[in-house]
Amino acid sequence: MLEAVLGNLDIFLFLLFVVMGYSCGTIAEKRHYKSILKREKELIKLMLVSAEGRFADGAVNESFLVSGSMVVSNDYFKRLLAILRNFFGGRVKAYESLIDRARREAMLRMKEEAAARGAHMIVNLRLETSTIGRSANKKNRVGSIEALAYGTAVVMNRP
Amino acid sequence: MKFTPKHIDENVNVSKTHPLVELAWLVGGMLLLAVVFYLVLGVTADLAVAKIPIKAEVWLGEHFVDSFEANEDEPLRRRLQTLLDNLPADSPLHNYTFTVQLVKNKEINALALPGGHIVVFSGLVEQAESENELAMVLAHELGHFAHRDHLERLGRGLGLTVATMLVFGEDSAVSRLVSNLFLVTESSYSRQQESEADRFGLDLLVSSYGHAGGAADFFARVGKKAGSRGPYLLASHPHPDDRIEELQRLIRENGYPVEMTTPLGDDLLAEAEPEQEVETAVEK
Repeated sequence: MLEAVLGNLDIFLFLLFVVMGYSCGTIAEKRHYKSILKREKELIKLMLVSAEGRFADGAVNESFLVSGSMVVSNDYFKRLLAILRNFFGGRVKAYESLIDRARREAMLRMKEEAAARGAHMIVNLRLETSTIGRSANKKNRVGSIEALAYGTAVVMNRP
Repeated sequence: MKFTPKHIDENVNVSKTHPLVELAWLVGGMLLLAVVFYLVLGVTADLAVAKIPIKAEVWLGEHFVDSFEANEDEPLRRRLQTLLDNLPADSPLHNYTFTVQLVKNKEINALALPGGHIVVFSGLVEQAESENELAMVLAHELGHFAHRDHLERLGRGLGLTVATMLVFGEDSAVSRLVSNLFLVTESSYSRQQESEADRFGLDLLVSSYGHAGGAADFFARVGKKAGSRGPYLLASHPHPDDRIEELQRLIRENGYPVEMTTPLGDDLLAEAEPEQEVETAVEK
């Protein structure tokens, strides 16, 4: 048994990584979504729109740039699914949740920053993504992506 | 425009499929593709084998035999030549330039490799007691060449290995596993191929020695010695008892005489000694 493991060490390592990727990835994702949902509900009153803001004279007290970003990496299991998906085509479902989490987390962080500074709303929301790290776009490497959300936080003149 | 804060529970951006379900579908699809590919490859290999010119086979063999480090063995070579001299004039085997090598290995086996290379493991020579037995083994391997069995199996194994390398890359663990698995196990023959090679071997033995003595001796001895975990020969070849029965039936049907066997020559006996170095003889 031990001989078989040592003889095909790379295969066993690969399987180990896949299993680890699946278990750790699933746990991390569940926890993250739980936290995202909770914080989204807490911050739901803070208005966030992608439209350009137009305000009457004297309505705005202060406006400033806010941004939030999150870097998320894929795991071995998701990568395996994506590689297999390359043969058949179709939605790369494995990566959908990664991008979704990164986007929502970035927006949340931006909202948290705006809320901390007393903003009433964020206008002109923009979202960007980029692959980062030395391993980005390289074969046989686990890559990561960054989602960046930025917008203009507005503090209104309210009594 | 009024802003109404509302939390949307549904998430359209993420598919609902469970990742493990997706994995099962994808892996299942890959396996199905591999099976279809293997079957198609098997059929095409069978069809193509008869059409591959011996020249192409010799070229293939040159690249394959490198993995067996051994030199042409002179005593075995002489015995093979005797057999070759007794082939019928129209035999396709005359197109080959045969080489025979002795490899120090305890396995009781002999291999027919593409390009007319015969590899005999020293374990087999140790087991053999007469010239006739050894001639039968060599003639049996020649039978595989005559029926081109070795190419058929290699065709499948090779095709599968190349396909995996294309898909997973040359250095990937998967390719290495597949090539180890198929280039070795796929070099075994089917029972039918083995019995046909036995038949060919028997005919050649009779035309060389004038009688069929010793044809079944080897299998009888190996069969008796086979312990709980039989030697390699038993795993890939039909059961020795079946082969002996078949050979004896053929001898009876053809009316071949059975006479005394010739004891194994001293030159080979010396080589079969485990410590002895393999004699180096270069032949072009």
